Amino acid sequence: MNPFFLKLRSLLRRRRKEEDLRDELQFHLDEEAEERQSEGFTSAEARGAARRDIGNFTLVQEETRAVWTWTYLEQLAQDCRYGLRSMAANKAFSLLAILSLALGIGANTAIYSFMDSLLLRSLPVSHAESLAVLNWGMNPAGRDSVMRSMSGSTWSDSNWKETGGIFPFPAFELIRTKSTEVFSSVFAYYPTRKVNVMVKGQAEQASGEYVSGDYFRGLALAPAAGRLILPDDDRAGAPAIAVLSFPYGQRRFGDVTSAPGQSILINNVPFTVAGVAPPGFFGVDPASAPDFYIPLHTNLLLKQRFGAGDANVYHAQNYYWLEMMARLRPGVSHSQAQAALAPVFHQWVDSTAANDRERANLPQFLVREGATGLDTLRRRYSKPLYVLLAMVALILAIACANIASLLLARATARRREIAVRLSIGAGRFRVIRQLLTESMLLASIGGGAGVLFAIWGIRFLTFLLANGTENFTLHPNLNWNVLAAASALSLLTGLLFGLAPALQSTRVDVIPALKQARAGQTGPRHRFWRVSLSQVLVAAQIGISLLMLVAAGLFTRTLSNLQSIELGFNSENLLLFRMNARQAGHQDPEIATFYSGLQKRFRSIPGVRAATSSDIPLIGEGTSAGPVLPVGAQPTPGRNPRVLTTGLDFFTTMQIPVLLGRAIDYRDQPGSTPVAVVSEAYVKTHFGDRNPLGQHLTIPRRPPLSEQDVEIVGVVANARYGSLKGEFREIVYLPFSQRSYRPVDDMTFALRTSGDPLQYVKTVRAIVHQADARVPVANVRTQSAQIDQTMNQEIILATLCTAFALLALLIACIGLYGTMAYTVARRAGEIGIRMALGAERGRVVWMVLREAFVLAATGLAVSVPLALGISKSVESFLYGVKPNSPAALVLAVAILLSAVLLAGYIPARKASRIDPMSALRQE
Amino acid sequence: MTAGPPSHVDLLRGTLDLLILRTLLAGPSHGHAIAKHIQRTSEDLLQVETGSLYPALHRLEAKGWIAASWKLSVKGKRARFYRLTPLGRKQLTAEQSKWETFSRAMRLIVNPFTQEGQ
Repeated sequence: MNPFFLKLRSLLRRRRKEEDLRDELQFHLDEEAEERQSEGFTSAEARGAARRDIGNFTLVQEETRAVWTWTYLEQLAQDCRYGLRSMAANKAFSLLAILSLALGIGANTAIYSFMDSLLLRSLPVSHAESLAVLNWGMNPAGRDSVMRSMSGSTWSDSNWKETGGIFPFPAFELIRTKSTEVFSSVFAYYPTRKVNVMVKGQAEQASGEYVSGDYFRGLALAPAAGRLILPDDDRAGAPAIAVLSFPYGQRRFGDVTSAPGQSILINNVPFTVAGVAPPGFFGVDPASAPDFYIPLHTNLLLKQRFGAGDANVYHAQNYYWLEMMARLRPGVSHSQAQAALAPVFHQWVDSTAANDRERANLPQFLVREGATGLDTLRRRYSKPLYVLLAMVALILAIACANIASLLLARATARRREIAVRLSIGAGRFRVIRQLLTESMLLASIGGGAGVLFAIWGIRFLTFLLANGTENFTLHPNLNWNVLAAASALSLLTGLLFGLAPALQSTRVDVIPALKQARAGQTGPRHRFWRVSLSQVLVAAQIGISLLMLVAAGLFTRTLSNLQSIELGFNSENLLLFRMNARQAGHQDPEIATFYSGLQKRFRSIPGVRAATSSDIPLIGEGTSAGPVLPVGAQPTPGRNPRVLTTGLDFFTTMQIPVLLGRAIDYRDQPGSTPVAVVSEAYVKTHFGDRNPLGQHLTIPRRPPLSEQDVEIVGVVANARYGSLKGEFREIVYLPFSQRSYRPVDDMTFALRTSGDPLQYVKTVRAIVHQADARVPVANVRTQSAQIDQTMNQEIILATLCTAFALLALLIACIGLYGTMAYTVARRAGEIGIRMALGAERGRVVWMVLREAFVLAATGLAVSVPLALGISKSVESFLYGVKPNSPAALVLAVAILLSAVLLAGYIPARKASRIDPMSALRQE
Repeated sequence: MTAGPPSHVDLLRGTLDLLILRTLLAGPSHGHAIAKHIQRTSEDLLQVETGSLYPALHRLEAKGWIAASWKLSVKGKRARFYRLTPLGRKQLTAEQSKWETFSRAMRLIVNPFTQEGQ
């Protein structure tokens, strides 16, 4: 119950009881007096006699009251009242303590709420615990594998060098038919990626999920409107239907109940909306919330470039693309299902191997827990979140140590008070409980403020993590789970920082403590133990601060290393946006002229200095790579050149210098000689010192297209394409107008602008809308934002770590200052004597500072080796800096020591200003 | 030391509880009436001090042996009436047998010739 109401209730009850007692005794008195009166006394005499008879009225009241037992709640209320009073008496201390606790608990709560939504929350479907994700894992011994091609992602974990959740369609059929003993349902799905969705004449890019017929039944979902996809919808030739996600349905149709029956165009193919999925459902992968769901076999209608576009994929045994989940039958465990199905899968996958080398690398079938859905997000965010969690836990530890040492100092000031309480008969346990209640009270208020701080922190962190990502799906909130964790944390911290001072301050010899005239003076007997405890606490704070400073240094250095990476092109004032005209119905060869026409019109926007286009943006969206090599050269496995098809003016717009020959220009038309421009690194790898101009490259292409021969007409300087890190890779640039590489599909335009690139977005949209209203403009952002997004994790770690480290340093300095100021106050007499005997001011300053530095040195002695040890665990987050970088360590130590100097100097100066006379007089 | 019967005797420790419980066996009563009843029934040998009566009443109440409520006294005044609870009844039996054992033991020692059974 809220301590305030508790207090109020017991206060009222108590007052009532007091009144009752007074009435009761008054009645006794009246009766007695009446009796005397009836014996013949006068009224006044009778009254006096009765009074005498009853004795000391107040004493009787007192003694009766003493019998009333205090309930624990009443005592708690009493303690709280007392605690609030003593908090109010030390406003500065209380405020400081509450503030630092609020920051500590708030930061922990915010990070924990992310962990909660990332690691612990189940999919919003019934009986999520019986869901299973079907994966494979392998530890390849060679390059050859039955997975000859794949579309989707794989990763590595502690058990498997390579593991993933994509399977060929025949494997899905196999598992579905052979698993009826263990699974009640098996369903498959894969993403549509970005497609063009036209609703009521409005075109927009959206992404959906192809799902097998059993998807919604397997997840046990009920529609919000209309119906969901049924097994019969998922077959070649079935009417094309779509199910919308609730938010998407709401956004595009307003009211979801009006959506069923409506016709929409997906990549120009008509679909009928059959229904809308329930509101909370976001698909099976918390990382991506699909806007709509369409039957698997409709991929035959959409014929997308990525993934599976033709009927072959339903027979291909070595093309891995389809993800699977299943629902376990009641009573069947994940490991039982795996044991039952692994041999079935093994037998099948063995039959798909063409030779012994492939047979040596067979993937093994795995059944993983599916309650929380796919762990894409977990893989992406859990490690940085763990680092942040460690950081905020350290902050809280510092805050606790800080409050503990301040409480310790205060406990000394309260020795007399405590001695009085002990001497009038309070049990030691009772006093400890009182002191603990006070620290709990502090912690609770801090925790309450911390939750408020966490609300803000969650918003800030979401903003940082999302960093412009479209439909960022990690949305933590303060649920009961998180709030329970926050309150548990508050109580724990209260106990942590309250217990030691409480135990210590009640170990008082009552008599000497009472004899002392001035509060705060201590006998020599206790001095060693107490001073050493508060010193340990201060040293610990300094040590922890160092750890955080080192981490901040490493992450900041990493970020600045990344930011100063040579891009090879100018990323300033560059506007990027993407569109896909093919999805809106444009065909070859018209689509190429459509794009170049647009590019020309963008170029003529006032303020746009140059405009160009490429099939993939340079940074952040991967690369296209293939064995585009000089005629006759053999490909090196894993080291294919990267290929970029571009429009006109690519090098001038991106400001990549042309070193030899010419850039791609207006001469390079469909009929003319197919050309290529290569990067410096390409020349170095494939031509050495030979002149590459006029040399020919071979472009292998998928049937029915034949191989294509292109001539090198120019060499450009190296530029980043793909990721920012590592060495410059070989790049082949091809004009998309000549269609020498692959069909023109989606296109990313880049505009070099004067002034803020985003001010041109409206004009761009208007131009595209005018050219073809069916083509939506998507992914609008500046090049710098795009680059920032690729180093999102580093930016977050650097920003937050620096903020946390400064916070930690601040708290530690306050702790040090408090301790030193207390020491100076305690030793005022001694310092006075020293000065009276002729000690110089500088000497006194040094004496105090020395003590501060001894504390700092103690902290450093422990934490420097610790920092060297621990920093290895963040190695994977670093770039261009070693985990045990001496520079980071030296910098951290230097910052720390200057802070210590500052925190120690103020009390030291105060000490040197002590007036010997007044100090001695106080003794 | 004086010979002869005392004008009143000091209460033994712990016997006040028994006296209160025994008094309330007759029915609910307020503090003053309890005191008077003990005094009268003991032929004025036992005087209950107000200073010990009320703490004792409140102690017994806290233990749950007696319960209190405000009622009108015979003279029409508001008074706090105590009554025996079932728990108190049980306690009374226990105290009574304890007291009897104690007084028998006292008797055996102080006055051996009036032993029972002789």
